[in-house]
Amino acid sequence: MVGSSPLASHIEALSRLLRDPPPPSELEEKLRARLRMLESRGVSWHIHSSTSMAPILAALYGSWIPSGLRKGVKRIALISKGHGSLAVYALLEILGVVEPGSVERMFSTPGSPMPAHPEARRTPLTLVSTGSLGQVLSVGLGILQASRISKESVEVAVVLGDGELDEGQVWEAVMSAAAEGARGLIAVVDRNMRQHTGPTEEVKPKEPLAEKWRAFGWDVWEVEGRAEIVAEALEEASRSPRPSVVIVRGL
Amino acid sequence: MGSYRKALARALVYLGERLDDLVVLDADTARSTGTIAFADRFRERFFNVGISEQDLIGRAAGMAIAGLRPVAVAFASFMMRGWEQIRNTVDRDTLNVKMIATHAGLSAHIDGSSHQALEDLALMRSLARTVVVSPADETATFEAVVRLVEGYRGPAYVRLGRDNAPRVYEDSSFRFRLGGLEVLEDGGDGAILACGPMVGVALEASRILRGRGLRVGVVDVYSIKPIGRVSLERIASKEPGLVVLEEHRTIGGLGGAVAEVLAGARDRPPLLMLGIPPGVYGDSSRSYGELLARMRLDPGSVARRVEVWLRG
Repeated sequence: MVGSSPLASHIEALSRLLRDPPPPSELEEKLRARLRMLESRGVSWHIHSSTSMAPILAALYGSWIPSGLRKGVKRIALISKGHGSLAVYALLEILGVVEPGSVERMFSTPGSPMPAHPEARRTPLTLVSTGSLGQVLSVGLGILQASRISKESVEVAVVLGDGELDEGQVWEAVMSAAAEGARGLIAVVDRNMRQHTGPTEEVKPKEPLAEKWRAFGWDVWEVEGRAEIVAEALEEASRSPRPSVVIVRGL
Repeated sequence: MGSYRKALARALVYLGERLDDLVVLDADTARSTGTIAFADRFRERFFNVGISEQDLIGRAAGMAIAGLRPVAVAFASFMMRGWEQIRNTVDRDTLNVKMIATHAGLSAHIDGSSHQALEDLALMRSLARTVVVSPADETATFEAVVRLVEGYRGPAYVRLGRDNAPRVYEDSSFRFRLGGLEVLEDGGDGAILACGPMVGVALEASRILRGRGLRVGVVDVYSIKPIGRVSLERIASKEPGLVVLEEHRTIGGLGGAVAEVLAGARDRPPLLMLGIPPGVYGDSSRSYGELLARMRLDPGSVARRVEVWLRG
């Protein structure tokens, strides 16, 4: 049923790429180093949103997705906070999907696979286009439910910003996932405490954040932003019978 | 009067029996839209997402990404609440999501102006890739839904009313084609281009005008995007005046689509746009006919307005 779908091609690409991935802590270090280099070279668009995403991407691609592949579970990661794109593009370089140095050359140039916000069918490893906040948790839930119909073992992680949680649609999806008993749906919140105009708790307080998710029927993990710890939390979240959120606090 | 939602219900059940990958999503309006018929037959392939239209579009998008064939159904007015989701995810990623909106135009006559979508054609037509159709009656609705779901891969918007479908086509006399239109009456003194329930009003108005000595043609322009440009230009070159009649505000709907075609034609007649004018919303009304009359969109009013304009 999933034969020629974007999801099927995506999973195929992941299993090719992640046969022998770098361990999460090494991947995180490489990501951080590359982001520092990009910043020093003036490629610094939303750089802090990318930096705080480094341990999350490192945990997902260095551990959670490959460990799923070993177990026969098709795990995918969707990015909802598309402005963390530099981290995604640094990851593409490190995994060898694009050549080293591509980001300086291609980031946000017309027609390139690296637009400011990653886009599907254009940016590698991007299953759904980003740029408009709050939309992808619903998409992740849709993918998960579709996989149940086709009786495939799929788990979906969705990376959200904490400022992004202002969007009403996020909470529509949070409520939906609980109603559907969406085991295997994992929200990963990049709790960097910043949103566009200032500290999240000044713009629109998110706390008590863990309690909010719990009240909606989700299992909650709160961890510090280090790839190995995030990876552990993700594995535990995968074992939860409920939809789960991993809130990753900035260092 | 026929019922768009009953025709939709029949089409979805028909498709459900044929397509294993068809899933239907509704935003807690299954009894009103007719998707309840599909839900009763194919429970595991039906999703009531609750009263959350943004989530409705997002989940349908996810199912399309996973290779299923999702049909998202909601009231037109409230499906537009997910317009930005449609734009940024479904349309931008060219996902195979069918968006079927019921209760469009004035058809939700009792519910009043909040429920009467008069802007959806403008909103959906302005997207980059989504195709937009507005079938006239039950037969056309069944055909359009079945053809689009079975044979068209990509985003599509189908605009339906409620229980206000005229009878325009005999069974199996309608062939749906994207970019197609159907000439129902020949003109000579002018032609009315209509879509949806207004096709029925146009046919009646044309009969009234014939009794007054005017031969006014009727064209069902069910495919609004893509629109039948060549056919429209041919019709325009033969008629001294064209009237667009739609249950939509006279901004950016069928009238706008026709005007965009004619603006590029060398030989074009004047255009009269009949619908809901700028500055005006619908209203709550106990009967559909009463509301049409109030908006001067009933056959008698339309005939009078067209006659005055053509003879003017």
